Amino acid sequence: MLTGSKTTFKVRQMPDIKERIMNQSGLHARGRDMFGLCCLPGECVLQRAVLVRKKLSPKEGGGWLSGTLFCTHFRVAFVPQDSPRADDNADPVLLGDHDVALASIEKVVAVGPSRTKLVTPNSSLKFTPEELVLYCRDLRVLCFLFDRLTPDTQAVEITYTIAKTYQPLKPGTILSFQNAALGSIEMKQFLSNRRRDPGMNWFESPADWEQELERTGAVGWRVSSVNDRFEMSTSLSRFNVVPQKVLDTELKKTFAHFNEGRIPRWCWRHPRGSDLLRMASFQNNIYHEKDDIRNLELILFGGQPQCVVVDLGEEMPSPADVQLAHTRLRALCLGDISSSVSVPDDKWLSTLEGTHWLDYIRCCLRKAAEVACLLRRGHLTVVLQESEDRDMNCVVSSLVQVMCDPHCRTVAGFQGLVQKEWVMAGHRFLSRINYHRDSDKEEAPIFLLFLDCVWQLWAQFPARFQLTEDYLLALHDSLHLPLFSTFLANCQRERCRRSQHLPQSYTPVNGLRELPRGSAEEPVDPPYPPVWDWPLQYSSQRRALFSQPVCQPCSPEPVLNGNLNTNTNMEPNWLSDGVPGSVFLLSRSSFSCPSNLLPWRSGSGSGSYRKSHRRAPSSESLPALERLIKACGQPDTPQDFHDPHQPLIPLLLGPCIRIWRNCYLRGALHAQAFTHPMSSNSRHPVERLASEVEHLRERLAQASTGRPSNRKRHEHRRLDSNLNQNANNGTFLFSSSSSSSSSSSSSSSSSSSSSSRTSQQESPCRISGRPPTAPRYRDGGGKHTFLFGHQGEPQGSQRYAPSPSAKLPKNSGPAGAKTH
Amino acid sequence: MLSLGGGGAKSTKPSFVSYVTPEEIKSEKEPPKKERHPDLLPGEVIFCSADPVLKHTQDDLSQRGIFGTLLCTNFRVSFVSDETPLEDMTQHFKNKLYGENDIPLMCVDNIYGVYDEKKKLMTKGMLKNKCPSKMIIHCKDLRVFQFCLTYTKEEDAKKIFQGIAHHCLEPKSLKCVFAFSYAVSRSPEVQRSQRTVMFNSKEDWTQEMKRTKANLRIVTENENFEFSMRLPKFFIIPAAVTDEDISKFPGKGLPVWCWSHHSGCALFKASTLPVPQEDGLMQGYMERMLHAVAHTHLYSLKLEDLSETLPTVQDIQQSYNKFKQFFLIDNSTDFWVSDVKWFSSLENTGWLDIIRQCLQKAVEVVECLEKENTNVLITEEEGTDLCCVISSLVQIMLDPHFRTLTGFQGLVQKEWVAGCHAFLDRCNHLYQKDKECQSPSPVFLLFLECVWQLIQQHSPAFQFSETYLTVLSDSIHVPIFSTFLFNSAYQRESTMKAESQHLQRGPLNCPAVWDWSVQFDCKAQELFINPLYADKLKQDKVIRKVPRAKHQRQLSLPSSAFKTPPKKGFFKDETESLKKMLRVKRISRWMASPDSPAAATREFYEAWQRRPLDYHGLLLPCLDGPAVRLWMQRYLRWIPEVQILGGGSVAITSKLAELLSQVQDLRRELDLRSCWETEAESLQLRPGPLALARTSLRLSSSFPFASNRNWTFKPAIPTSLLQSLMVTDKLASQEDETNEVISLV
Repeated sequence: MLTGSKTTFKVRQMPDIKERIMNQSGLHARGRDMFGLCCLPGECVLQRAVLVRKKLSPKEGGGWLSGTLFCTHFRVAFVPQDSPRADDNADPVLLGDHDVALASIEKVVAVGPSRTKLVTPNSSLKFTPEELVLYCRDLRVLCFLFDRLTPDTQAVEITYTIAKTYQPLKPGTILSFQNAALGSIEMKQFLSNRRRDPGMNWFESPADWEQELERTGAVGWRVSSVNDRFEMSTSLSRFNVVPQKVLDTELKKTFAHFNEGRIPRWCWRHPRGSDLLRMASFQNNIYHEKDDIRNLELILFGGQPQCVVVDLGEEMPSPADVQLAHTRLRALCLGDISSSVSVPDDKWLSTLEGTHWLDYIRCCLRKAAEVACLLRRGHLTVVLQESEDRDMNCVVSSLVQVMCDPHCRTVAGFQGLVQKEWVMAGHRFLSRINYHRDSDKEEAPIFLLFLDCVWQLWAQFPARFQLTEDYLLALHDSLHLPLFSTFLANCQRERCRRSQHLPQSYTPVNGLRELPRGSAEEPVDPPYPPVWDWPLQYSSQRRALFSQPVCQPCSPEPVLNGNLNTNTNMEPNWLSDGVPGSVFLLSRSSFSCPSNLLPWRSGSGSGSYRKSHRRAPSSESLPALERLIKACGQPDTPQDFHDPHQPLIPLLLGPCIRIWRNCYLRGALHAQAFTHPMSSNSRHPVERLASEVEHLRERLAQASTGRPSNRKRHEHRRLDSNLNQNANNGTFLFSSSSSSSSSSSSSSSSSSSSSSRTSQQESPCRISGRPPTAPRYRDGGGKHTFLFGHQGEPQGSQRYAPSPSAKLPKNSGPAGAKTH
Repeated sequence: MLSLGGGGAKSTKPSFVSYVTPEEIKSEKEPPKKERHPDLLPGEVIFCSADPVLKHTQDDLSQRGIFGTLLCTNFRVSFVSDETPLEDMTQHFKNKLYGENDIPLMCVDNIYGVYDEKKKLMTKGMLKNKCPSKMIIHCKDLRVFQFCLTYTKEEDAKKIFQGIAHHCLEPKSLKCVFAFSYAVSRSPEVQRSQRTVMFNSKEDWTQEMKRTKANLRIVTENENFEFSMRLPKFFIIPAAVTDEDISKFPGKGLPVWCWSHHSGCALFKASTLPVPQEDGLMQGYMERMLHAVAHTHLYSLKLEDLSETLPTVQDIQQSYNKFKQFFLIDNSTDFWVSDVKWFSSLENTGWLDIIRQCLQKAVEVVECLEKENTNVLITEEEGTDLCCVISSLVQIMLDPHFRTLTGFQGLVQKEWVAGCHAFLDRCNHLYQKDKECQSPSPVFLLFLECVWQLIQQHSPAFQFSETYLTVLSDSIHVPIFSTFLFNSAYQRESTMKAESQHLQRGPLNCPAVWDWSVQFDCKAQELFINPLYADKLKQDKVIRKVPRAKHQRQLSLPSSAFKTPPKKGFFKDETESLKKMLRVKRISRWMASPDSPAAATREFYEAWQRRPLDYHGLLLPCLDGPAVRLWMQRYLRWIPEVQILGGGSVAITSKLAELLSQVQDLRRELDLRSCWETEAESLQLRPGPLALARTSLRLSSSFPFASNRNWTFKPAIPTSLLQSLMVTDKLASQEDETNEVISLV
């Protein structure tokens, strides 16, 4: 169809990008392009193609959407034809619903009438593309179809522009990308004024940690700021939780005994009174002084009579394994039209098995389930040990908490968990994700492995999560965007260094000012927002899908926290006697107590110690522990299902571990079939059902109070996109009769009913002698009943709030009493 | 009492290494207890029984079990537990015919005897052997039972073992099947749900022809099976077939009509002629037949020989045999062993691939009908195995009527029962293992598997649920229903006649499997209905009555060929030679299979995919690697290791049911205070499985099968602390419940 003279479009036909930036940045500084693209401040359009159709994924409803395609120097944007005119004063959203950031593009493929071609910055096209396929790093595949009426030059040029500007991420290009998105003065200002989500725990100040200690009911621990200046360990966070009995001066000596100074630190307490700790491996060739040993043991035992060390070194996949598996999985799942090599259908399953990705997931889940079962026993410390304490420890410790702690299955709780176990604990996000493309050896999607594990749990127990698959997907996709402070550093130290340059932003309570000022290495860095700032990335419709529409009210807070902690069987003062508790090693699902487990105990220096240690009742407790692991997965009684702390023990057998279709297969060419384009006019029964509920409730509310109420809107809004899925993909219509009918039959607001619950639950804690909680902590502390899903309202209203001191409305009024 | 501690889950269990001899146990028993037997069905007779027998639960680590009585009747092998059964909440999905510890005799797949820790497959020659210490029964519905006979008196054990083996392994005659004694003594029920079209009368067939707007010829000559014994009483053939040709080869090679597309083209199936001889008689006959079929619409025909492209029935049998081994788990260690290479071992059995091939073939046929508007004739040696699979699948994909419950039952009735699928031989109901004539093969199950794949991918399009399919697949092996008992309509008719004459009573009252009330009560039957079924909206229904075909046509793909003038006599005026040439061209082009069927189908599929999905229009399955899946409910439901307690898809379904019940609660409440005018425009909702509501947390993923056997015998964690915890939990939950009650009021 093309004549000979037009066959080759040389790159030079495209004007220089720099030039365009200069030309256009003034014009469209903050406004809408004439075709409706709402640009970020400073963003400029490089190329545009009209009359383009975008193939919609099944989640978006399927089919094709026509509109205009843009390429800016930050993203590839698509504006549907009749999209409503956005409010010019609205907050900037980095990516629209149909956009993709250039940085997450991995491959650009042009499909011509008879051939397909992978377009690289240096290649030339010999045909006019009819279709443009963008393969993304997050396994999405976007497909744009050029109309016959699209000018050929536009089709060709936008293909070139995208191919030239997207990142084959050379070192350094990442910076320009970030500057394109966040670099403008307006954007900087906007970001620095942004308030962070008060609903989640950021674990940045000692108060945050104390809040967590209180939430879990842990006693005998304190927050130590000995590492405040990162002098003891560069990779640890500034504040760490250690046993109360160890003084800071004593603590300082213990750092040397561990790899990178990563001493055993408290992570979480099981409601039955066991503590979860994590540490790096022991430093060899160090002389253990007697005082040191006492402190080491104190830290390790944390007030418990027994300690189990779970070694994650040998059984777990190495980062390299994970990387290889993930690469293979990608190759399998992304049918690639440019190479057209695909696995035959009848070999698909064995190829999937050959990637070992599912094996690794299983491995992580199994280990976490073992630890979770172990913790149920109570009165132990379980210490996760990995040589570096920065990869698998993160995975397992956070999985254990997702399994055992219902709070971690809410959006806010989960974000707090990631903050605690990954961000603050110093997971090397930057190297593992390899944004700069300079650490290929280090690259390993450990965090994605974790997300997949959480998905497996979610898929097996959808009713026990408040967060949804959409949330996990959003997090999965954000990981590939090098814009967030959460992922752009390897440890807190790096993060702190960078954030110093920002005026007034991120001022943790305790003040960053006291920090030693590092050298100004990267002065041009724009301020990076945390990934948890979802309004920055996703429209409110998308965010509404992050949590279940109606959630079960939290079951009453178990009373076991306070009053069952005291152990009467053991001598209460075994520690003061100087008799150390027994230590076991959990490895390959069995327990042992090897002599060299704790290096100082096997050492020759302290003979007397060893003797007394031998008297420890280790042989007796071994079988009991074994039984605990074996019973893993066997719920005690049917009644236990009412126990919110019944851990979610996932099933790990072959048929139970599945592939995360909506993530890995959403871009594959064949994946569109799982759900089909759906005609918009016929409503799905679930939707009808939901609107019926809404309708009835409204009428009921009218009947009872005489005034209309629109409180139930949230329910409807959820039900439009999920409906077309198979039942096992999760249409969530969670509600409980008690919450719904109580809230519908009374005129009191929902939050009041929830807070009345909260105050009821509070009482046993007060009786048990702990100080009453401050209201602010209560909100973040998981006792909130998630009757209305996420806390969108405070977020929306406080966006530009000047001070972070605004609190969530206190609702402990008498109004709630009506419901009971 | 020694055996069995009270029945509560938390009560002390007996140690199952019994130090008491069987005699001692017996002496302890009160005499009346010995007559323990299940509630017998009408016509059921107990052959032998043994007591006490230990039934192992599948948890092999602890070798726990329950004591009870093992019985063998003419219907089932039954185990009656000494414990009083727990009243659990899955009781409402109880099969009325047999309980969870009963095995209908036809359902027994294999019996293994354990001699000195060695497991041996029992064959009928081994009956005289000494009695094994343990008997393992594998069922066709994938349950596994282990009965330990060591506590029984030796002669009792021997008797029961031989009895069971005799009735389950020896070939028997059709007359001995329980259905007949059942039917005789069964009280005749008047209200048989006659909603299902049975296709045993001329009216049914003409009705179906009218529904699909076909204009063909119905043959009534076979009403008394004088004409062919392998054909239904009534059948429909192309109008152009002459009387002379019908009787030439009795039924062989005759294209029997299955279904007509709204465009006028139709699907036919035929058996192949006996021996391909070289005489012109046969060839001429064949040609005339093809001719006649082609004449039906547009003079086009695609001939598809299924035996060339699809696996044979023997392949299917072999593959399924391998496949099912992964789910017949004697003990959990077996499962862990097979787990290591789970995916590849599943793949190696080839079962999933056979499913894929069948669906693929069906899609090809659909393409011809829908896109090319050609008539399709599928042939096979007998025309009753894969022809049935493919033709029924095609009809489900094309016709939304067959996706409703009654429609589906009618389809099975039309294609399989009236279509003379040899159920008796294929299911091997009579245990004629070395019979030369027909090899057993799970062809019908294969069809159900394919339907399940469709349900999985497009669940709102189907009115019935996967539970329905699972139950249907189980019912094949319940020897009560006339549906699955015979090889052909002729055999059904003649056997029934002979039996009722023999008994000198009125006509036998043998229920069809569609009479679900025989097996389940109404509440349980609710689970057959898919609560997510996207029903046609009411206002649609009114319109649909008249222009239904038009409605479908809108949504169908643009047909490339001959869309405009579908006149019948299009070729009539042409010269003979041209006609012949055209015919040869069109027929042969289709006979030689097109260049790459997979690629063509892919194109067709993608074209279909671009249009909005209409659950009441054409429905195609995706056949890619990840899309064809394992029917978890059927295959994994009895394996405790893979049951997700409080999870799985049932958690969602139950939430849905909860919402439904909530709607009803609210409605009721509204009605109570109905000072408001009731706008009756509120949407009509199907009553879903309401029984599910509010029990969601306790359901396991294998609901409604395998009731909570998992937690009845789990190893307890011997911690006193734990018990105190449980007490508090219970209190807490009780409190919660009362709260709930209060707030409900």
